[in-house]
Amino acid sequence: MKSKAHRHQASFRDPSGYIFQEGPVVKRVINPIYFPVYDALCKADFFSPLFKAKMLIPHVEQQRSTEAIVLKPDQIDLMTYPYEWSFEQYKQAALLTLKLQNFALDRDFSLKDASAYNVTFHRGKPIFIDTLSFDFYQKDSPWRAYKQFISHFFAPLVLAHYHGAQALKMMQTHIDGIPIALVASMLPKRTKLSPTLYTNIHLMAKMEAKHKDEYNPKSREIKLSKKSLRNLLRSLFDYINKLDLKEQSEWGDYYNKTNYQPESFRFKKEQIQKWIAGYSVRKVLDVGGNDGTFARVLLRDIDLAVVADIDHNAVALNYAQVQANKEVKMLPLWFDVGQPSPGIGWSNTERDSILTRLSNWGPEAVLALAVIHHMTLSGNIPFNDSARFFAALSSVLIIEFPKRDDSWVDSLLQRKREFINHFDHYNQEEFERAYQEHFTIEEKVVIPGSHRVLYLMMTRE
Amino acid sequence: MMGYFSMMFLYFDPGLGAMLVQAIVAAAAGIVLFSKNFMYKVKSFFGLTKSQKDGIDTLDFEQDEKQPNEEQGS
Repeated sequence: MKSKAHRHQASFRDPSGYIFQEGPVVKRVINPIYFPVYDALCKADFFSPLFKAKMLIPHVEQQRSTEAIVLKPDQIDLMTYPYEWSFEQYKQAALLTLKLQNFALDRDFSLKDASAYNVTFHRGKPIFIDTLSFDFYQKDSPWRAYKQFISHFFAPLVLAHYHGAQALKMMQTHIDGIPIALVASMLPKRTKLSPTLYTNIHLMAKMEAKHKDEYNPKSREIKLSKKSLRNLLRSLFDYINKLDLKEQSEWGDYYNKTNYQPESFRFKKEQIQKWIAGYSVRKVLDVGGNDGTFARVLLRDIDLAVVADIDHNAVALNYAQVQANKEVKMLPLWFDVGQPSPGIGWSNTERDSILTRLSNWGPEAVLALAVIHHMTLSGNIPFNDSARFFAALSSVLIIEFPKRDDSWVDSLLQRKREFINHFDHYNQEEFERAYQEHFTIEEKVVIPGSHRVLYLMMTRE
Repeated sequence: MMGYFSMMFLYFDPGLGAMLVQAIVAAAAGIVLFSKNFMYKVKSFFGLTKSQKDGIDTLDFEQDEKQPNEEQGS
């Protein structure tokens, strides 16, 4: 019915159906093999309470034939992946998955997979996006997706608890989740004393090693009552719910540490707001946006601000504000401009690179506030390359240039020690010359009480 | 229907070790949950329980539905 050429690479694994792109719209095809489950789910009124609770992406059935059912789901603005979430985001995605499994069990269904890629962030909350992940529950059967839940959710969170948020980035090199044996080897010995960690990680690693060569599933009948399965879910839920990160928040009070005067701060906010309003921009990407302080003032006038930062604490602080203020137009993204998430998985297209996803989303303006000195002096990225990078992202760029007199710039330069002279090119003239190869400078203003200049630029077409 | 389930088995390997270990995990979980409940009851008998819950979230769906419907612009 539909040409499989439009099929997105993210969905080739599941025989139940696939997602495809029709113009700008993402749709989902259900194959006949999944019809019995889908029809049973509809009959049981399974979906609507989940839509209402914003736990599952809403869809409408658009077409039905004997070969395929086509669903049109609500569209996700920008898909973010597990290795781009803060610890708290990750934790909530895990809890959502367990809640869905519990909800499904109540209605005699079960999640057939528990991949972290089944969840993304949409309108301020984690949301489950794989409508075809539900299957019939078979009486007294264990949870098929249990191992996947452990390696996709539980293990990364536990590792982050013991080793810091950076452990979550391991998901980028393990598309199928972190191997349990590796997790067991990385955890401190004392974790064997925890009943939850001992059974879910250490014992599982042992059992996996012991049975790895047995492949005939019918050789043993494995039974687990629904009540036991619920106990398992509840203990995982309680454990994850209490997990925290031991890291100190270094950047939590970033703005107290910066060299900003209150009037400079206010001026910067107002100037950005004015420029954004002038271009009737609806989609903003803030590169190095810290906790979203500046993007937050724009939320009234735009549809979505994606605020990307390299610092986990900044992303975490941003997400905490999204939750506290129930913001739906702010999407925090853990992102290193020096090494953006690559395409991973099959053909490197199963999970697209963040740059591909950003470009598909199409930000109408990019903010790069107080980030160019880090890119140029810490990342050693030449002006010309950063200019080309920003020009490829969007046609409007609002960029802040801290001059050499700025105390932050000075501290970055001092760290170069005997190589300090190699960074003489870091000055306003060089910056303007290089950026004007890709942009026209529409406006520039000096931020009062600072050594910083704010530019409004447009790409040259 | 049988055809459907046999296809699902092709989807991915749930891992025999992981399937077997679930009974033990669930048993341990049962003991932990039971002892937590027991301690809670003992503590509440002596009036030592805190009204505050440890987490912000619950596993049960129904609890969520009672939350006010939050929908606003910013």
